Amino acid sequence: MNESTRQESGESMDCRPTLREQFKFNIWLAVTTATYLVTLFLVQHFKEWSPLVQVSVTLLPVLPGLMYLGKGLRLLRQMDELQRRIQLEAWFFAAIGTVIVSAVINVFNAHGLVWETFPHGLEIGGTYLLMFFLWTLGVAFSTRRYQ
Amino acid sequence: MKNKLRELRAAREWSQSDLAEKLGVSRQTINAIETEKYDPSLPLAFKIGRLFKQPIETIFEV
Repeated sequence: MNESTRQESGESMDCRPTLREQFKFNIWLAVTTATYLVTLFLVQHFKEWSPLVQVSVTLLPVLPGLMYLGKGLRLLRQMDELQRRIQLEAWFFAAIGTVIVSAVINVFNAHGLVWETFPHGLEIGGTYLLMFFLWTLGVAFSTRRYQ
Repeated sequence: MKNKLRELRAAREWSQSDLAEKLGVSRQTINAIETEKYDPSLPLAFKIGRLFKQPIETIFEV
């Protein structure tokens, strides 16, 4: 059955992400975060491990991270065009916002105005959380804009 | 971009959800097009034209 026949018959051509797909995406996010926290704990508490083991353990979150990336891309492809635009705006907002905040913290640090919470700038955990926070804000702003 | 989507939909007594389902998009997309906050892509505009059996230039005007 071609597209126009489907339209005329009123049959659904829904290409929105299913709840199951969204659930899988969020599960991989949770697994990636949990793996990151566990490996962080392990690396900090088992300093006697050889560098090879330490590097291997530190890189473990990359595996669920790749699954998260794959599910995210799949989810993005299933979205309709307005949802994709909202996501694009939100990710752009998050990416540029994170760069700006990181740059400001680094400038403060370089001039000796070290923010006690971030003595070495935003590390990977901070960057990740900031980007997630800004993405959430971006989605909220863009969704409101198109309502 | 001005459009006649709301009138065309109302003439067929379809809800926004009905139209969204027929076009394979979200209800939010239909609402955003009707309120002129979002301009559809060319493929979606053609789908709308085919669904209402009208050329796109009679549904959308620049």
